[in-house]
Amino acid sequence: MTDVGRHPRIELMTLSEVADVQGYIGNFRVKVLRKARYVDEKECTACGDCIDICPVIKPNEFDLGLSTRRAIYQPFPQAVPAAFALNMEECLGNNPIACGKCLEKCEKECIDYDMQDEEVEIKVGTIIVATGMDVYDPTELDEFGYTRFENVITSLEFERLINSGGPTEGHLIRPTDWQLPKRVAFIQCIGSRSEKRGNPYCSNVCCMNTIKDSLLIKDHWPEVEIKVFYMDIRAFGKGFEDLYKRSKANGVMYIRGIPGDIREDPETKNLILLAEDSNSGKVVEHEADMVILSIGLIPSAENSLIRQLLTLSRTSDGFFMEAHPKLQPVDAPTKGVFFAGCAESPKDIKDSVTQASAAASRANILMSAGKFTVEAITSLINEELCKACGVCARVCPYHAIEFDKEKKLPARVIEASCAGCGTCGAECAFDAVIMRHFTDQQILGQVEAILEENPQDKVVVFACNWCSYAGADFAGISRLQYPSSIRIIRTMCSGRVDENFVLHAFKLGAPVVLVSGCHFADCHYINANRWTQKRVEKLWDKLEKKGIRPERLQLEWISAAEGLKFAKVMKEMEELRQGVTLEEIEYTRKEL
Amino acid sequence: MAEEADFKCLRCGHQFKAPYSPKDEPQERACPQCGSNSVRRIKEKAKGK
Ligand code: SF4
Ligand code: SF4
Ligand code: SF4
Ligand SMILES: [Zn+2]
Repeated sequence: MTDVGRHPRIELMTLSEVADVQGYIGNFRVKVLRKARYVDEKECTACGDCIDICPVIKPNEFDLGLSTRRAIYQPFPQAVPAAFALNMEECLGNNPIACGKCLEKCEKECIDYDMQDEEVEIKVGTIIVATGMDVYDPTELDEFGYTRFENVITSLEFERLINSGGPTEGHLIRPTDWQLPKRVAFIQCIGSRSEKRGNPYCSNVCCMNTIKDSLLIKDHWPEVEIKVFYMDIRAFGKGFEDLYKRSKANGVMYIRGIPGDIREDPETKNLILLAEDSNSGKVVEHEADMVILSIGLIPSAENSLIRQLLTLSRTSDGFFMEAHPKLQPVDAPTKGVFFAGCAESPKDIKDSVTQASAAASRANILMSAGKFTVEAITSLINEELCKACGVCARVCPYHAIEFDKEKKLPARVIEASCAGCGTCGAECAFDAVIMRHFTDQQILGQVEAILEENPQDKVVVFACNWCSYAGADFAGISRLQYPSSIRIIRTMCSGRVDENFVLHAFKLGAPVVLVSGCHFADCHYINANRWTQKRVEKLWDKLEKKGIRPERLQLEWISAAEGLKFAKVMKEMEELRQGVTLEEIEYTRKEL
Repeated sequence: MAEEADFKCLRCGHQFKAPYSPKDEPQERACPQCGSNSVRRIKEKAKGK
């Protein structure tokens, strides 16, 4: 952090909030609200003279309220810049000056009560989102008594307690009597891996954190008895299993089972835990002097604002979604934006540093090239046909379409942001979107060519470039046989498959049409294939209303590695085709 | 209790129940009998209730 603060080419903006982001890759304009510090950051030497005199005493947030601070303070000892800040809301008042003691005391005269918040605009080419995480608040899990019993604390509070720079200077004490606890219990997965309360995901770091804490206690106070109540211990990662073994060898007891209830002995303030050990099947009572709840990680509260400003997506757990889980794990779907750390998912320090280095390199590649090549496959709006309905902007997974609801101006594609999935083209009801290299005419032309002769013998298959088409390739390389009636039309994404393409095929006599794309988790265009599914569902309804069997339109997700599945599905399509009568085909032609 | 809906496989005809809520994000679905993704939700009206 200090290195960052000192680096000549890094401007660190602390006490600042991002207020607005406009533009696109290479050309972002970011408005930053710089909050007044009331202390001249460059002049303050953090001598601390002002704190001794400030009469306002507040809980210290960094120590999670376990210690106090003044209204003028340094948030934590290693804070960068090493300058104090004054919290004007807590200060006794500056207008008129009600106290002014710090101003008098500060020899360097760096305190200025008239400092104002200011908004600055900066131009940047790339953005790295590293907004971190928050921690789970265990108050809703009342059975653990976090709000009722003083000797039940969270792992984060414990972290401050045992830190040499913390409120007890690293002495392990329990809150009620300030004595060294003789028996400590850790309870794992608080707020994690639960469908009912808290979050369904694993928070990734808590097991190792507890193992580390248990070793820390054992190193200093080997006589302390430690029990860890857990569901499973997840100690994957370099050296982690060794630490786990060392912890066990040091006498830390691991009990498989989460206590269902905690009571407090009103006299001793000790805690009684009732837990079933799932290894022995026995319910056992345990007594502890102090209980530490190993709380999980949750998405930062700021994520929703950042998501709006940068038009990002979040996964169902609330963390940011990457452009591709395997191939672009640090890229945001919005081009020129990258992730580092827990903004993307819960992770430990090592993984955060790894991801941050990757994000910095990814950004650097773009920045040093200075130019960015856009794929030729992008969409374009025909302004004359556009009715400014805004559907395209709503469905675009990359938020690459600008659309002004008030002004009702035609939509506009930011080509630098467009990935070319074609979803906008498929969803626009007015044919106002031109998909370069995959235009309506080109695709309809292929449909017509396929069905020109003996359409009753053909199956029209729309296959996406990345998965299904690659699956067909794989089937080919693996010498897997599939029926000769199959005719494939490639699109970049299944999201490109317009309702009209399907209806046109049926109108020209196709017995069966298959729309295929990547599995949901593999979609190469974030979530464009969700629109495919919705569209196919609508088409099923539409066909049924017209008296056409919806079964004739099929949907399938086939990955690039599923050559076998591809061949199997194609055989099923052929079977379906054989079940479609000439009368049905004739009826369909007339109906559509 | 999670909300449920009826689904029908348009490949093998199998009908089944699966968790579903209109509020949920769309999900990838597969027929438990034949594995096909051509799974259609049977809407209330269509069930003739
Ligand atoms: S002016 Fe405010 S910050 Fe300064 S000493 Fe007084 S109360 Fe504290
Ligand atoms: S969906 Fe079509 S008509 Fe609507 S705004 Fe987009 S381009 Fe224009
Ligand atoms: S082609 Fe896809 S990425 Fe490009 S503007 Fe249309 S919906 Fe967005
Ligand atoms: Zn089926």
